[in-house]
Amino acid sequence: MNAVMAILMLLVGAYLVAVLEGWVSTGRLRPAGPITSGLALLGRESVVPRRPDRIFFEVAPPLLLVAALLAAAVLPLSPGLIVADLATGALFVNAAWVYVMVALLMAGWGPNGAYAMVGGFRFLGQTVGYSMLIVMALTAVAMRAESLFTTEVVKSQAALPNAIYQPVGFVLFFLAAMAVAFLPPLDLPTAPGELAGGVMAEYTGWRLAVMRLGRAVLVVTLAAAVSVFYLGGWLGPVLPPWAWSALKTLLVAAVMLLLGRYVPRLRETHVLEWGWKIGIPLALLNIFYVGVLLLVV
Amino acid sequence: MISGARQARLNFFRRLVARAQARELAALVVPDPEAARTMGVDLEAAGLRTSFTPRHADVLVLTGELPPGLKKAAAVAYAQMPRPRAILAVGAGHVSPLPEPNVSVGTGQEDVAAGVAELRRIFARSAFSTEAADFDLDAVRTQTEYVCPMHPQVVRSEPDSCPICGMDLVPREAAGGNGHGTHHEGMDHGGHDGGAGASHGEHEGHDEHAGMERGEQDEGHEQMDQGSDDEGEGQRGHEGMDHGEMSGMGYGGMSHDGMDHGGHGGMDHGDMGFMSMVEMTQGTPRSSDGLQMEWAEDMPFGPLFPGLPGGLALTLTLDGDTVARAEAEGVEGWAFAEDLAGPAEALAGRLARLDPLSPVAYRVLAWRALESAAGVEPGERTALARVGALEKERASSHMGWLSLFGRLIGYSWLESRAGTLQLALARAVDADEVARLRGDGAGLARRVEWTPLLRRKLGGVGVLTEGSERSGPVARGAGVPKDARTDEEVYRSLGFEPVVRDGDDALSRLRVRLAEVEQSLDLVGKAGETAVPELAADPKLSSAGSATVETPRGAAALRVTLEGGAVEGVELDTPSARHLALVRGVAEQQELADALVAVASLDLSPWGVDR
Repeated sequence: MNAVMAILMLLVGAYLVAVLEGWVSTGRLRPAGPITSGLALLGRESVVPRRPDRIFFEVAPPLLLVAALLAAAVLPLSPGLIVADLATGALFVNAAWVYVMVALLMAGWGPNGAYAMVGGFRFLGQTVGYSMLIVMALTAVAMRAESLFTTEVVKSQAALPNAIYQPVGFVLFFLAAMAVAFLPPLDLPTAPGELAGGVMAEYTGWRLAVMRLGRAVLVVTLAAAVSVFYLGGWLGPVLPPWAWSALKTLLVAAVMLLLGRYVPRLRETHVLEWGWKIGIPLALLNIFYVGVLLLVV
Repeated sequence: MISGARQARLNFFRRLVARAQARELAALVVPDPEAARTMGVDLEAAGLRTSFTPRHADVLVLTGELPPGLKKAAAVAYAQMPRPRAILAVGAGHVSPLPEPNVSVGTGQEDVAAGVAELRRIFARSAFSTEAADFDLDAVRTQTEYVCPMHPQVVRSEPDSCPICGMDLVPREAAGGNGHGTHHEGMDHGGHDGGAGASHGEHEGHDEHAGMERGEQDEGHEQMDQGSDDEGEGQRGHEGMDHGEMSGMGYGGMSHDGMDHGGHGGMDHGDMGFMSMVEMTQGTPRSSDGLQMEWAEDMPFGPLFPGLPGGLALTLTLDGDTVARAEAEGVEGWAFAEDLAGPAEALAGRLARLDPLSPVAYRVLAWRALESAAGVEPGERTALARVGALEKERASSHMGWLSLFGRLIGYSWLESRAGTLQLALARAVDADEVARLRGDGAGLARRVEWTPLLRRKLGGVGVLTEGSERSGPVARGAGVPKDARTDEEVYRSLGFEPVVRDGDDALSRLRVRLAEVEQSLDLVGKAGETAVPELAADPKLSSAGSATVETPRGAAALRVTLEGGAVEGVELDTPSARHLALVRGVAEQQELADALVAVASLDLSPWGVDR
């Protein structure tokens, strides 16, 4: 039951994210947009490029979707509404997101096209840049909750959400989450102007539809993760818990989608340089700072 | 019926899908959306989303008269588009080798909007049809040649054995049957790749059939869907074209089998068993980091690449994501200097058609050269009107560049805002209307200046070597106050001072153009006129004359020799032709994204380049 509810909520979330994304990119709000564009994609040929690596080519789009769905399974919508409340929940999301990298690398290699391949390898580099930030920011969150249960993490924020308690970790995690979802300005693997779509360039028809769905679900789960780990998840006055979760998730997703519109794409070297030279020291400081807070306050 | 209908019987579901597709048309614009806006055509407003790749487009939009090279590139892109697909011609003439456009309209915005509406109707009605025809394009036909797995220099057109080692030659694909194919041969497809070719092909066949079951039973449809079932039929579907004429297509469809897939291809499916890495990479070019497996030879970025002006054919050899070699060419088959001979009256019109990105500047250039031949000076009013027209065009051209540049660097706000202003400028009818846009131009400049991360993105990218010949904004972005306008009386009387910025990189060029937009809009206001009166001089004489005009891209010089009212000899020197030589210097040994930014920052007009 929980699983069905969670998947339903995810799909609704992905739908709203798709509407938001259309609004951000075209300036027109079209509530029916995702339905018509989805149908249109289903009606188009799904071209298989010449001499692809067939397994990689076919597996990449569903793998992206599955990776996003897996992460969603351990994120609570309300106290009782969680698919799997794992003792290693906070670690599990991270493990699931790693498969995003695998999926994109496969999508880059599989279709046998240069733009896609450059895109795929770019994301591999990007992963090196962001992955430490995700883990280290989550470490500080788990320290405060004294648990890796995602539900415990939410409860630990009853007095003060983590976004205020550890703002540095919040900002780092937020940016790293945008990198996981390859949203602009961190859209290095797809880079419309530089790679004509990169890892998505060779996918058409229903395969592209699956890939876009996977991306939308990924954005929702990342936004949900930000809300669970830093914004107190379902906690909030007046409204029912699930509504708070949904509101916070959508708000985070909207900010993520909007931010990239006003800045140019980052250079690959900067993603790595800033991730390691600035991000990791800051994340370590954050862990230290949270440790001091926990011991002293 | 649309020319690119998908073969299928219409049923309830497909009717629904076709209607959805009609609402969601995505367009691949040839040459590019900026060129369309120069003509005052706004495709977004007409209801077409612009697409970055032919793989995600359903409508090919041809704007204006296209040279043969671009038509060919458009045909390859069309072949890459998934069916159902259609063609919309906006003020385009003959489009062969493309099929006849499904809808042809003029260049007015209402015409285009009506054309898109018509396109939607026919899309909804006939996206699926049982009589769908294939698009057969020579450029994308696959040819097979035979090569020795151990000696890549041994290439035959028939099956044979190697004269050196006696091994049987293995088939591989050759580039398309045209002149371009030749210089790719033997480079992309290292010898190791050949072994994979044949067996991989068979393999494919099975996979394809397995992949067909996806819920649709009619066979005809599936057949079309997967044109690559076997190699021989490559030309039928658009699968085939991936290996076609590589420099002609400009999108991701190119093959890179040779350079990296050869690796796993050879191992997984090779006929000859194990092959070590050393053997496989033998004879392939050595890159600076010593990792040859990631070497990608001659990748086309253009002539239809989303981040570069349409028509500019940039060919990059990639070493991982570093550009090892760069080469840029203009529009293939475009009428150039030798075609400019003829009656003197028509010279201005012909010169203006030469570069659709800045027709006014070339028209004025022709007039000035003819006036210089006749030994007359234009009146003050004429001179002022020309200033107004030139500066309006400069502002509009810079806006178009900003929009394109915004797309390249992923700054979507800039892309859409600059596009809007470019369109407003293109549609402004008089000087007052143009001058009123000054506030918007200044606002855009301020906002771009304060954009976070922009300096880090552009600073130090595209620095030219000492002594490179620069002109226009590229020179002024290097701190050199080089501007043909400073020599002109009329500009001096308007208080003109060239805009100069230090830096000599993509950032300083961006700043120069931003400041010049404001300056140009100011000058239009002062000139008070944007309509250019016709030529004042009577060119019915035998003489020679020369003139220089500061086009939006730099100084263009023209020298004409007249013989009894007819143009005998023309010498044209365009800024883009000079700047094209800078491409190698700014792109090579740079990271791919930086190389593209550097090339784009030069604002090359592919039209102003002899090829």
